[in-house]
Amino acid sequence: MNAPPHILVIDDEPQILRALRTILTEKEFKVTTASRGEEGLTLAATSLPDLIILDLGLPDMDGVEVCVRLREWTECPIIVLSVRDSERDKVAALDKGADDYLTKPFGIEELLARVRVALRHSARKNGSPVNMVITGALQIDLSWHSVTLAGEEVKLSAHEYNLLAYLVSNRGRVLTHRSILTHVWGPEDADHTEYLRVYMRQLRKKLEEDPEHPHYLLTEPGVGYRFIEDE
Amino acid sequence: MANMNTSSFYRKISGYVLAVTLVAATTIILYFLRDTLDKTLVALLYMLSVGLITNLWGLGPGIIAALSSFLSLNYFFIIPFYTFTVHQPIDLVILMVFLIVSMVISQLVGSARLGMAKAKAREWDATQLYELSTILVGLHNELVICQVLADHIQTTFQGECIELEIGITQPQTLILPANSSTPDRLPELRLPIQAAHGPLGEIRLWRLTPVISSIEKRLLQTFASQGALVLERERLAQIESRTRILEESDKLKTAILSSDSHELRTPLATIKASISSLRSNEVNWDSNARTELIALIEDESDHLELVVGNLLDMSRLEAGALQPRRDWNILSEIVGEVLVRMRRQTSDHKIETDIPDDLPLVPVDYVQMIQVFTNLLSNSIKYSPPNSVIRIKAIEQDDMTLQVRISNQGPHVPKEDLERIFDKFYRITAADRVTGTGLGLSICKGIIEAHDGKIWAENQPGNFVFNFTLPFYLNGSPPPQLPIEMDQV
Repeated sequence: MNAPPHILVIDDEPQILRALRTILTEKEFKVTTASRGEEGLTLAATSLPDLIILDLGLPDMDGVEVCVRLREWTECPIIVLSVRDSERDKVAALDKGADDYLTKPFGIEELLARVRVALRHSARKNGSPVNMVITGALQIDLSWHSVTLAGEEVKLSAHEYNLLAYLVSNRGRVLTHRSILTHVWGPEDADHTEYLRVYMRQLRKKLEEDPEHPHYLLTEPGVGYRFIEDE
Repeated sequence: MANMNTSSFYRKISGYVLAVTLVAATTIILYFLRDTLDKTLVALLYMLSVGLITNLWGLGPGIIAALSSFLSLNYFFIIPFYTFTVHQPIDLVILMVFLIVSMVISQLVGSARLGMAKAKAREWDATQLYELSTILVGLHNELVICQVLADHIQTTFQGECIELEIGITQPQTLILPANSSTPDRLPELRLPIQAAHGPLGEIRLWRLTPVISSIEKRLLQTFASQGALVLERERLAQIESRTRILEESDKLKTAILSSDSHELRTPLATIKASISSLRSNEVNWDSNARTELIALIEDESDHLELVVGNLLDMSRLEAGALQPRRDWNILSEIVGEVLVRMRRQTSDHKIETDIPDDLPLVPVDYVQMIQVFTNLLSNSIKYSPPNSVIRIKAIEQDDMTLQVRISNQGPHVPKEDLERIFDKFYRITAADRVTGTGLGLSICKGIIEAHDGKIWAENQPGNFVFNFTLPFYLNGSPPPQLPIEMDQV
């Protein structure tokens, strides 16, 4: 039997540490905690966790800085915890290599879902890529560049397809505006959020049952977009 | 210094030389006309040139002209010619009258001329001062005030170097001309900038030539006191605005404290009660009551989050830190997001949206606009009856302006309260009947105004409507039009 996944939580709030340790241990994860940035970096290097949950507001150093230092040597998934309304910090952390974020206060199902996605994604990175994603009536074949909805072929423009493909190959994870624009349109268009807004609306119109209340292509306000599959 | 003195000395001498020359010229002309002219007329003509000379070159040359005219008149025109003796008593009278009148004339004209020069100098002073005070009046920044003051001193006095030092605890110095350093010697003039309650700084002027006159010194003194007045006014204004902000935030704190028992403790009490009953074994683990209690805890936590969030936003708004990060957005995407988030709160109402599909992109802060719609919707839900309709409509007023209307079937608001509902903590209904901090609408107002838009409420037959406008232009640019690709994969 596989060893339970090991999660390192770096947060300076004792209450949050206590709650996360209790809940995650209950869900059969192995949990280590650190309340300072330096301590967290040391523990990450010595205990090699499978996933790190990182608070952005640490007493001794900026969470974004911790993120940068971790990314110097490890690909281990990082989920950032932040308080409400710090979109700038979230985006900075994501652009510096964090995999996902959660805003405090958060629901525990939300956290567990993000943890599962991050672990799955890191497992996928190490194995062979999955080229076919089927969720609900939607079927996306990344190797054949084909998208079908309820068995019917959906016609997409080149940018629409590239946008969808990028989101789908990172399914479950939040992608920042900048990262999507750089990847799909190129670095020179990294600030043209309006492209993203318009193409995302077109994609939703073609793929979503109700484009105003999307099911697969979700907006992360002030941060970016996320593709989610039906569980 | 020496060279300046000699030049003014030459100017003086040349006045005397010219005076004598003009008298000589007059003498020559009159000499040739001697036979045809009466000697009294000759005397009058001499007087004319004395007046002219005094007017042109001042009192000293005027007196010299009067004396030399007197002598010439006597020598060339009074019989016997070419002597200074006088035979006829009448001629003596003419000569004496001539001398007295021409002296009086030169005195009068000379002093009038001096008075004129003084008046001109005073006028120049007044103009300089007027210009300085006109510029200073509109200024609000201490450093800018000093810059203007220094510039003005420099243009007026043409000094070698000017140094302006302000601030006693943290002195800041300003040196003109820019990028130069002060000369090694002590300044020729040092003047304190003196305000009512102590010195504010000092003006130092280096100028060897021309030597700073007492008039200039007085003018500079006036400049300094003018500067002191403006700096003092600026300090008082700063203190006043700081006091006002403190007062405002004090009011805010008081209001938060007075509403916290209700707003924060009610949900806490509910959560505490629910949890303790879940912990005790009084509630059957499989009963509906358990589900109900858990739902209650979640609802109340959400409500607490909203209240705390609004308080935070309000304090940010107070601190001026709620600057929108505007970029191009699709309004229907924002509204859609809000409706997804508020699914539970809106479940008792029917929400209708009417947003044209071809509405241009709007330059807004996505997150702040979510806040605006959330607050307006939650207000609409709170005050309108269950199962009634809430309608969100977007209208393109013109090329420049978007208007959004959120109407509900709630009761009308008295006309005099329509504007005040956007004030902090303003509530029409008694605080304990409706929940909320009374901050939601004032946050909306703060956000919309930070977007250069307007927000207002109106009563319509059968409806109560919130309206707000947003500009379509961002920094002067219209919404971008994107080429729609036709190529297919």
